[in-house]
Amino acid sequence: MHSTINSHSHPIHNALSRNLIFTHGKGGVGKTVVSQAIALSLAKQGARTLWVTLEDPTLPAGEIKQVETFLWHMNCDFTSAFEEYAAMKIGVSQLTRIFLKNKLIQYLSQAAPGVHDLVLLGKIWFERTHYAHIVVDMPSTGYGLALFQSTYNFVKLFRGGPLHRDAQSILETLKEPQSTGHLIVALPEEMPLRESLELNAFLAEIFPQNPAAFLVNRTFPTVLQENQEELSPDSWPSPVAHSIEEYARKRFILENYNMRLWMDQKIPFGKLDFIPPPPTNSSHIVVQELAKQIQAKAYV
Amino acid sequence: MKQTIDDALLKRRVIITCGTGGVGKTTLSAAMAIRATLLGKRTVVITIDPAKRLAHSLGLETLGDHPTDLTPQIRAAYEKAQAEGADLPAEFTGTLAAIVPDTRRTFENFVTELAPNSNVAEKVMKNPIFQIFAKEFSGTNEYMALERLFHLYRQECYDCIILDTPPSRNTLAFLDAPRLLAQFFDEKIIRWLILPTNKIVSIGMKKALGILEKLTGAGFMTHLLDFASSLFEVQANFTSNLRKITTILESPQVGFIMVTTPTLDTAPDIQHFLTTLVQHKFHFDGVALNRTFGHLKATGLDSKNEDAYSVIRAIQEREEVVLKNLMRNPILVCAKLPELARDVHSVEDLFHVAMAFSPAHSTPSSTET
Repeated sequence: MHSTINSHSHPIHNALSRNLIFTHGKGGVGKTVVSQAIALSLAKQGARTLWVTLEDPTLPAGEIKQVETFLWHMNCDFTSAFEEYAAMKIGVSQLTRIFLKNKLIQYLSQAAPGVHDLVLLGKIWFERTHYAHIVVDMPSTGYGLALFQSTYNFVKLFRGGPLHRDAQSILETLKEPQSTGHLIVALPEEMPLRESLELNAFLAEIFPQNPAAFLVNRTFPTVLQENQEELSPDSWPSPVAHSIEEYARKRFILENYNMRLWMDQKIPFGKLDFIPPPPTNSSHIVVQELAKQIQAKAYV
Repeated sequence: MKQTIDDALLKRRVIITCGTGGVGKTTLSAAMAIRATLLGKRTVVITIDPAKRLAHSLGLETLGDHPTDLTPQIRAAYEKAQAEGADLPAEFTGTLAAIVPDTRRTFENFVTELAPNSNVAEKVMKNPIFQIFAKEFSGTNEYMALERLFHLYRQECYDCIILDTPPSRNTLAFLDAPRLLAQFFDEKIIRWLILPTNKIVSIGMKKALGILEKLTGAGFMTHLLDFASSLFEVQANFTSNLRKITTILESPQVGFIMVTTPTLDTAPDIQHFLTTLVQHKFHFDGVALNRTFGHLKATGLDSKNEDAYSVIRAIQEREEVVLKNLMRNPILVCAKLPELARDVHSVEDLFHVAMAFSPAHSTPSSTET
């Protein structure tokens, strides 16, 4: 699928128009629901979309399953991706089965750094031609970076062999703005906002031609401020609040104060409003609400 | 001022906090360390990833194995709070130090220590596979934290050690780390790998290695075999260290606390954590609920800001459901710590947080008599 890059549109819209979409961010920023909501919004527009989680321990692993019209899900796991890869490279035969069952091979494929990450990325990469969009919920910051970093290192360190060639092709695709979009998700809190800048610097190093888009999730509703003296959080004597009114007021001040970190660097970013948690365990409702916002804000 | 959390701090010499990224484990662990100090303990907190501003204000920016003494700052905060009439112990006798280990450097130290001579150590560290491995192998950071703990435990300079485990996507990552590394150091497999020409190696094994070489290229295989043969030389020492660490972790001197936020999807995670602790024969000291909203009172509300209040009320309602579920199961909640209105930037801030642990409830089965 050819994506049109419209210079008038929001950087997020731009990133979400690509074939491969990677959502990055620190643990706890709501990456899973946000990436799921992005995938749902794209599917609702009639584009064949695959939502990918990587070895999420809470979800069943393996097969691609259709979950809605135009929407599929895959919880990519190493074992099945590696089997598939080996079968592709050495053919489906008794030999392949023996090869994969070999204790030493099982050991190496788990222990050898890089191979694990490369196989996961490879699986996503091979699926890319079957869908208009693949939205990947990347593991939280450190682990997600390792996924690219070890593939990158693999290419640099180990020459020759099909794994090396495939790793190189994968990195080429991830570098191209026509094919791949990188979205960094944060919360309006100090640590996630700051780590996002570090993450961005890292991504810029390996994908210099393909800058990431920025999104702040769970921004609080506006709270009118009466007391101008309170506007700097550093002037508050204690970090502990005691009433709903005090917390709401301070929370709103703090968020805007924190987001200056990005604004000072002239980073254009999108925002998603805080969805009040549903009283029962149903991330489904949150995903639906977020998808509505993503469409209303024309991010897709 | 005594809270449930203090029971664990009095009972154990080591408290290990586990939890996924974003739950505020570091702040909670540091606040717990302050409580231990107020109980008169010589306390040290090993923290992996403190917020930049907090690290800066605590003088913890330089990574390393040297403990930074925070006692004077805590004493100042204690005296200030006492002057303001806070409910505090009459005397201040504890100490507090903090360590931010450099996990990468520690891993190199670790290999140097395990290696029979410096040639082997150098060979391992120069290997490109080791360089990736030291940074990325799941379990290394966790295992290095344990190594650090082991050293402090043996030194006997501290009577309360709080280990804030590395941020991970999965609460169990820390508990699984030793097993994962032990697998890596599996003697039988390394022996196969470094003796490929040996007659013992079966034809199947040779074939498998041949296929692997075709897939990855000869360069990778050479480095891998080289790395494995170096590993073989450090394997025996690793295994004996691991046994000693495991013995300490199983002893009643060590308690585990799971840090989580009061959301509904954490229930399976807690169950899983408990099951795994039992399997390992580790001691559970409860769930610490961080970022709670239940303490916020509905006073001075302005109808113009109803949107914001309704979000907070929804969070409070969910929190009540979570607490009820924990009570019903029953799972010990050892601590509740409020969501903070701003970030923690100083020892004095941390002191305020340490005083904000709210009375957590014990379940009937776990109430001590």
